Amino acid sequence: MVNPVLLIAVPLGLAFAVPLFALFCKAAVKYIPPAALGFNLVISLLLLPKALVNPVIVSIGGWQPPFCINLVAGPVGVLFSIVIALAGLLVSIYAMDYIKEQAAEKYHILYLLLLTGATGVVLTGDIFNLFVFFEILCISSYALVAYLREKSSIESAVKYLIQGSVGSSLLLIGIGLLYGLFGTLNMADIAQNIKSVSPASVFVPMLLIITGLGVEAAIFPLNAWLPDAHSSAPSSVSAVLSGIAIEVGLYAVVRVLFTIFGVSLNSTPEFLLFLAMLGILTLLIGEMCAFSQNNIKRMLAYSSIGQIGLILFALAIGTSYGVAGGLFQMISHTLAKALLFLAAGYMIYRAGSMEISALEGMGEKMPLTCLAFTIGAFSLVGLPPFIGFPGKFLIIRAALATKQTLFIVLIALALLGTVIEGAYFFRVVQVLYFKGPKSGPAGKDAPAVALVPMFILVVLIVAVGIYPKMVTGVLNSAAAELLNRLDYIRSVLG
Amino acid sequence: MGFLHNYAYYIGAFGLIFVGLYIILTKHNLIKAIIGLAILDTGVNLFLVSVGYITKGTAPIFSRPGIDAKRMVDPVPQALVLTAIVIGVAVLALALSLAIRLYQHYGTLNLRKIREQKW
Repeated sequence: MVNPVLLIAVPLGLAFAVPLFALFCKAAVKYIPPAALGFNLVISLLLLPKALVNPVIVSIGGWQPPFCINLVAGPVGVLFSIVIALAGLLVSIYAMDYIKEQAAEKYHILYLLLLTGATGVVLTGDIFNLFVFFEILCISSYALVAYLREKSSIESAVKYLIQGSVGSSLLLIGIGLLYGLFGTLNMADIAQNIKSVSPASVFVPMLLIITGLGVEAAIFPLNAWLPDAHSSAPSSVSAVLSGIAIEVGLYAVVRVLFTIFGVSLNSTPEFLLFLAMLGILTLLIGEMCAFSQNNIKRMLAYSSIGQIGLILFALAIGTSYGVAGGLFQMISHTLAKALLFLAAGYMIYRAGSMEISALEGMGEKMPLTCLAFTIGAFSLVGLPPFIGFPGKFLIIRAALATKQTLFIVLIALALLGTVIEGAYFFRVVQVLYFKGPKSGPAGKDAPAVALVPMFILVVLIVAVGIYPKMVTGVLNSAAAELLNRLDYIRSVLG
Repeated sequence: MGFLHNYAYYIGAFGLIFVGLYIILTKHNLIKAIIGLAILDTGVNLFLVSVGYITKGTAPIFSRPGIDAKRMVDPVPQALVLTAIVIGVAVLALALSLAIRLYQHYGTLNLRKIREQKW
């Protein structure tokens, strides 16, 4: 039988085995992350059919829930672990050649730890365990942001570290208050008893936990760290931070809200409405800031804020259409943003500058990389036949299906954000292909080991974009798991 | 007086948490901000322990005779605090090593003077 514990144990063990391998053979170290993540991808895919029927519950230490730490590999958990393993695998293949500066084995340890933390967050069923995995994710990302040891990367890492650890402390206070109220840390057990205390006493821990997780998820007033951190990290790290870390933060927010606190359209629609407005605000601010950037990586980072806002809005619609659309948009953002950062990484490397104007004429010098960048950009804007189109389509359909004027106004604002997004992405594509000297010296394209992961991402973006039914089946059962908390409680506690 | 006596640990814990937050928000020196972070961490840890504490409680050892189960202190928050302390140490160590790097680059630890990254 395939055990979900392997998804955490194998990358964690291999992460700490990296320095041992480095003692004997430095050159072999870079093959460890792809091997670990490839293993994770296979295991998650094997788990998927079983998880779709019934969540796989693993109790650690042989105790029964709620007395043990348990892992819940339901549709949501397995879906996320597939996405994390897939994006992580492709980025780690890219990083084999891209990471040359400093001690490469440190990069590989931290990279594996980051993805272990992310996988742990999406699989765990215990709220303190969620905090621990969340901290593994955060601490390794602080260190990875500072990896290049340049002026700007150290400064952004300091900023990120201080804001992130205040957020984590708030999260821990919230968890402590919940433990004081319920005497348990099991998420299903807390969820079962949440109605037994007054809503006012649950509100404070909820606010603390959402604020704490919201820092990592980059929800609007808490995202000052993101553009600096994402733009001054190495491009392969930016791809994982943008594609995985903030999505995992958002997953934790949604899991805590929907499953533990039982926020739903029937009980507290006003809180969901608040989140939806916050989402649209995040979206508009992110897109407007992205529009005014001249630095390509900062532009991509702000565009991540915008996308997170859109996903938050979709999830906060609170219907099964909305949640499924939000999850679809998460997958679409992970694939497209990873592709954009990976392509931008080599474009910056060859151009020697992050300024958009320095990329003039790149379309002729690096045709394949630029094609990949263009496809990622078009997908993020939402043009068919790429994956961004069905994502945005599902969200608009969900907003219109609510038949509330307010949601229709909000989705109109979201579309305005998409127009801004289109404007700045098309500007970059124009600079790549139609500006600069027509026949410059022939340049060198990215190396094959970087082009292969980009090519796989392009294939996935186009394939899922043309045939979205490939994933919507899984997404619908994932949305059902998130919205149907009684089933979750029953499957964990029996 | 009774209120103070009953809630002394909570008052202390939240006092430390607010002191820590105040330092982080107002001080411009990075080392001071890191000290604020440490105080904040300590406050959170004290809060977690006091959630499970019973006045004049005993250790939760069932095999030892003569210990009343009602007087046992809840061991779970203490296990949580051990984990939280370890995480706090890791964050502080990383923060201090970043502070050294920051000083090497800028020659100052004043966060007001370090403003390369802007919105």
